Amino acid sequence: MFSERERERYKRQMMLFGDEGQERLKKAHIFIAGAGGLGSPVSLYLAVAGVGTITIVDMDMVDQTNLNRQILHFDRDIGRKKTASAKEKLQEINPDITVNAIDVKIDETNAADLVGEADGIVDAMDNYPTRYLLNEVAIAKEIPLFHGGIRGFYGQATTIIPGTTPCLKCIFPKAPPMEVFPVVGVTPGIIGTVQANEVIKYLLGTGELLTNRLFIWDGMQAHAEEICVERNPACEACGGMVKKTTARKKK
Amino acid sequence: MTVKIRFFARFRELFGADIMTDVVTGTMFTSLITTIAKKNPEGYAAIFDEKGAFREFVILMKNGKRIDIADAAKTPVADGDEIAVFPPVAGG
Repeated sequence: MFSERERERYKRQMMLFGDEGQERLKKAHIFIAGAGGLGSPVSLYLAVAGVGTITIVDMDMVDQTNLNRQILHFDRDIGRKKTASAKEKLQEINPDITVNAIDVKIDETNAADLVGEADGIVDAMDNYPTRYLLNEVAIAKEIPLFHGGIRGFYGQATTIIPGTTPCLKCIFPKAPPMEVFPVVGVTPGIIGTVQANEVIKYLLGTGELLTNRLFIWDGMQAHAEEICVERNPACEACGGMVKKTTARKKK
Repeated sequence: MTVKIRFFARFRELFGADIMTDVVTGTMFTSLITTIAKKNPEGYAAIFDEKGAFREFVILMKNGKRIDIADAAKTPVADGDEIAVFPPVAGG
């Protein structure tokens, strides 16, 4: 059921997917790993779309060097916990959703518990070791992982449905070296929005997901393309998984 | 015969987007990429290690199909092949 305020807030999108679709979003719980460059647009767009529960996790404080791209955080937030800043902004932009902001480093001891009963995981991380952990949790819980990565003017995204599509380890078996990566804010803006769009479609059960395809964005050329990706039968993370008959959890 | 090599992300910054090149029959994947990469020392170092082997994170594809870097030295290229070379993009 929706309040009058919710009906007004979501009026223009309920023209697309009706009460039923909006109800699906409202009942959903999405876990966003990272409140940085990707986590900002992902969380903002999921919040305004009315995803009922958003859990966002980050361990960092807002630094001035974040502000060219991490649009959840403002100049006044420098020195604050990103989670505090994120919760404040998301609740202000949509007071009708629940936001859990958890200030912790995601590691192998807590990843599964942090994700809890979430319906999907958004990869908004800046490193592959943590991404691989999220990949394992997604596989264990049989929930999707919405992957995104950016560098400079380049970005990539794919939607991983464990057991059905290649997992992150199938596509990228080895992590690249860590670096302080160059980036302009529009790149995570574009890729994060693609990820949020995937989450919304997945929850609605509509459209074609970015599955078995790696979306590649070249901002310098203003050119997007995709590369087919396949499961690796010998994948150390998902190799033994059997394809599920129903990829999407019905709520 | 002619093949097209496509670079993505950081590799595209170093080599440009696409390179069309003529190769002789029997040219292997690794030797082709090595020859192209050696024209750009910084690019070469991004793709290959000190021993001349592909860095372990490099992704290679031929006509949309993944080529394991361990098999690249014995995988021949064919006329019209489209080869993609890219690193995982890590930032967020």
